[in-house]
Amino acid sequence: MSFGQRVDLALADKVLKVAVERTAGTAEAKRALAVEAFPAFEDARTRAAAIKDHVIAHLGHYLEMFEANAIAAGAQVHWAQTADEAATIVVDLCRKAGAKSVARSKSMLGEEIGLPHALAEAGIERVETDLAEHIIQLAGERPSHIVWPAMHKTREQVSALFRAKHRDPHVEETIAAMAESARRHLRAEMLGADVGISGANFLIADTGSICTVTNEGNAELSVVPPRVHIVTAGIEKIVPSLPHAIHMLRMLARSATGAALTQYTTFYTGPKREGDRDGPEEMHIVLVDNGRSAMAADAALKEMLRCIRCGACMNHCVVFRQVGGHAYGGTYPGPMGAVLTPALDGLSANRDLAHACTMNGRCQEVCPVKIPLPTLLRGWREKSWREGLEPVSMRQGLGLWRQAVLRPRLYRMASGATVRAMRLLARQGWIARLPFAGAWTKYRDMPAPEGGTFMAQYAKGRRR
Amino acid sequence: MTARDAILGKLRAPVPLDLAAQAAALVAGSERPPETAGSPVERFAARLAGPSVSATLDRIDDASGLPDAVRRYLAHHALPATLYLPPDSRLTSLDWRGFRIDEAVAADQMTALAVAKAGVAESGSLVFETDASAPMLPNFLTLHHIVVLATADLVETIEDISVDLAEHRAHYWVTGVSGTTDIEGQYVRGAHGPRYLHVVMVG
Ligand code: SF4
Repeated sequence: MSFGQRVDLALADKVLKVAVERTAGTAEAKRALAVEAFPAFEDARTRAAAIKDHVIAHLGHYLEMFEANAIAAGAQVHWAQTADEAATIVVDLCRKAGAKSVARSKSMLGEEIGLPHALAEAGIERVETDLAEHIIQLAGERPSHIVWPAMHKTREQVSALFRAKHRDPHVEETIAAMAESARRHLRAEMLGADVGISGANFLIADTGSICTVTNEGNAELSVVPPRVHIVTAGIEKIVPSLPHAIHMLRMLARSATGAALTQYTTFYTGPKREGDRDGPEEMHIVLVDNGRSAMAADAALKEMLRCIRCGACMNHCVVFRQVGGHAYGGTYPGPMGAVLTPALDGLSANRDLAHACTMNGRCQEVCPVKIPLPTLLRGWREKSWREGLEPVSMRQGLGLWRQAVLRPRLYRMASGATVRAMRLLARQGWIARLPFAGAWTKYRDMPAPEGGTFMAQYAKGRRR
Repeated sequence: MTARDAILGKLRAPVPLDLAAQAAALVAGSERPPETAGSPVERFAARLAGPSVSATLDRIDDASGLPDAVRRYLAHHALPATLYLPPDSRLTSLDWRGFRIDEAVAADQMTALAVAKAGVAESGSLVFETDASAPMLPNFLTLHHIVVLATADLVETIEDISVDLAEHRAHYWVTGVSGTTDIEGQYVRGAHGPRYLHVVMVG
């Protein structure tokens, strides 16, 4: 399915828009309050960007430092160049551990490397422990947001799903009762897993620690009881030391949910120690490149490696709020997804994403690490044009337009005629259907132009 | 060539001699949220009571009053006097007569007690580390989590926590109860872990 077709589906889905608005709207309001209560937030963003840039410039050095310290702490470190390599390493580790079931704590990198699919193919049962991922798993769908993967589902849909799939489902029709139903259902499965798999929000180079943050506490419940803990992390997750992580954590929580800190922030350094009462015997860390080293070397993309996956850019994106996350097609939706997906999955199949942007700049304003997302998107547009990926109709259309603007008199005549024609089509100031722009007016009305073209009004103003 | 060498090969860059100093400079004077009014204890208490932590607080003069404080809490919530205690002599040495004390945590354990290593006024966080006297799982499993914190262990900001990550398998901060906003963005307490967090400050 093409991007256009997915957008068509999304726009026709009235329930989807309601669901996306409920969560993204709440997140936007909460972030605004959190930032208001932190007057130095702007400087803190500049600092966060500088920390990430420093790490990206010295990524190789910090990765080696991390690896040495993680090994010294008793962890085993694995490296994967591609998504497939990473998934294979994880599946092999699960097999070696004789795992029948794994408890998995939500990580976008796991989605990126296709872990759910790889585990299914290997016949290993996967227990998703994050509530949203659990919903998605029951529904057989993909995440539609990086912080709220089930954002596209309404409470009514979740209720129906739980009633159909939970052993002992909720009676009362409330969200609290639904969450309780999931708690009952998941607990035994979670505690009985042979392997726990998590991502990492940060990798701490000078101690070899990994850091996870969750609101539910599901990461801890997933990775503490099993005998083996496997971490999958993108190589850009490195920070030099704990103080750097602390700064980033302050930014992450406020940008994602508006909290001062996420409820559970945990640093793991190696497996269980001598005398420890719980914890895994083995800890494996899979460091995943999957295109990141190439991004680090690409001046037009390297700023994207600053991303800490907070989701603020999509919560504040007018396009995302209309179409939700699935329309973007890749693992990562919204503005950051529109930049990342072509880098991860190739430009030619994803060139449309860069066009699904109004360039209003909201994403860049809220991004805690100041990624110039509109600029990066424009970079993809230019690249797509240079590489001849834009369709013939677009090239010819722009060619015609160029011919016209180079002839001002002709251009003025044509635009004047257009304005007059549009007024004829309007009913009470709105145009419901426009010739040659049927796709555009399918979901919206165009306001009828008032007072003629800009040039006509300008001329009138000068005469006055 | 191994995947490791291939990845690191693409990332080779000269390492300046003062890299560590550069890294340290990046966090010198990190921005922090402004301090609200009051003493650290008052600020910590206000944070605990706020909506994102939503914990309750009790204060006692010395540790011998802990069993009574726990009794009060359990009675208030109409809970049985059954308790998981970690093998921490600061707790096990107290007089727990009248309680059923569990030494292993059950999957449906109702209440667990734990000692925090520190509390953070900035965020209302409680800091824990794993070791032979401090397992981790109970603090994530039970519905009610009761945490003992010595007032002297309260620090101002997150940076003030004294920590060497290399020393323990896990170092973690609890800043509220287990919650979720995964269904329609609406906040629900008690997702997988504790629905209630109760702090008893000693001293
Ligand atoms: S691009 Fe910025 S705002 Fe978007 S998820 Fe990444 S860090 Fe957050």
